[in-house]
Amino acid sequence: MGTDSTDLGPTDFALIQRARQGDHGAFHGLVDRHAGPLFGLAVSLSGNAADAEDIVQETFTGAFRGLAGFEGRASVKTWLTRILVRQAARHRRYAGRRQATFRGLEAALDADLGVPSADGATDARIDVKAAMRLLSPDHRDVIALREFQGLSYDEIAEVLEIPRGTVESRLFRARRELQGQLKEYLG
Amino acid sequence: MSECEHAPRISAYHDGELPESSRLDLEAHIRQCPVCAAELARLQGLSRLLAGLGRPEMPREALARVHQAVDRQPNVALVRMAEVFTAVAASILVVSSVWLWKISAAGAAPGQIPLWETAAVAPQDPSGVAAQEQLARWIVQDLSRKNGHD
Repeated sequence: MGTDSTDLGPTDFALIQRARQGDHGAFHGLVDRHAGPLFGLAVSLSGNAADAEDIVQETFTGAFRGLAGFEGRASVKTWLTRILVRQAARHRRYAGRRQATFRGLEAALDADLGVPSADGATDARIDVKAAMRLLSPDHRDVIALREFQGLSYDEIAEVLEIPRGTVESRLFRARRELQGQLKEYLG
Repeated sequence: MSECEHAPRISAYHDGELPESSRLDLEAHIRQCPVCAAELARLQGLSRLLAGLGRPEMPREALARVHQAVDRQPNVALVRMAEVFTAVAASILVVSSVWLWKISAAGAAPGQIPLWETAAVAPQDPSGVAAQEQLARWIVQDLSRKNGHD
């Protein structure tokens, strides 16, 4: 069940229950708690902050409208992450050729180039971002969920609604792809 | 890069996703297999590279816009109440429609016609009139015969 305990207040599940009864403030509490990490994931999946903000907004408005559909079998974090991944996939399908992604990548490059580093860390970040963009959406999803969100294989399987074995094999192949792109940094 | 048959499991080992017994077996293997040891080192290096991207912070203005978007959504409890009322009203409408349809299809059962009305409109029995006429003729004939004998 989705009982994420926290010493800093009510559990996610308690907030969901209160939100279902019309307590808007409870849902805003969930937004404050989860929007930040979800934004980071959305940036990884979409490639730029503008799309990421749209995706996060659609995630929370969709979650709010679908509160009755939360059954408590997964954690609230997993539930929200699943909604976000679906929204990101929708963006990929309907946004067309990702002009915004290239603009976002350029902005990221500009930001990185604005902070020069003597040890090539800037070059590494640019190359890593570029390598992530070259991954297929399926591979990018599992890498982002594992490496950036720290989800377990079971949680990733739940978010993506795929078998755990598929999570393992996709991660293996995605990492092999990234290793191929970034071999100069990996030895 | 050369492959070892255990290489696909190195990824799960790196993520701490192997069951205890498998993890111990693989650790023992990695200690003896330079291919798997190199694979593990590359995976660890890759995770460090990815971690070096950092976690982008959500701008405060963007977070505020998310809150505003949520505020624009209709009240969930009110929507649910409206849905329940709508469902009840629809059920009443369906039941009423079926009931009215059944009534009109069967039609009103004809009421019993009062007996007096039946009698009033029933045609007179012609045989009854003829019988009375015959009786009258017999009475006249009988009276005529009696007058002749006196």
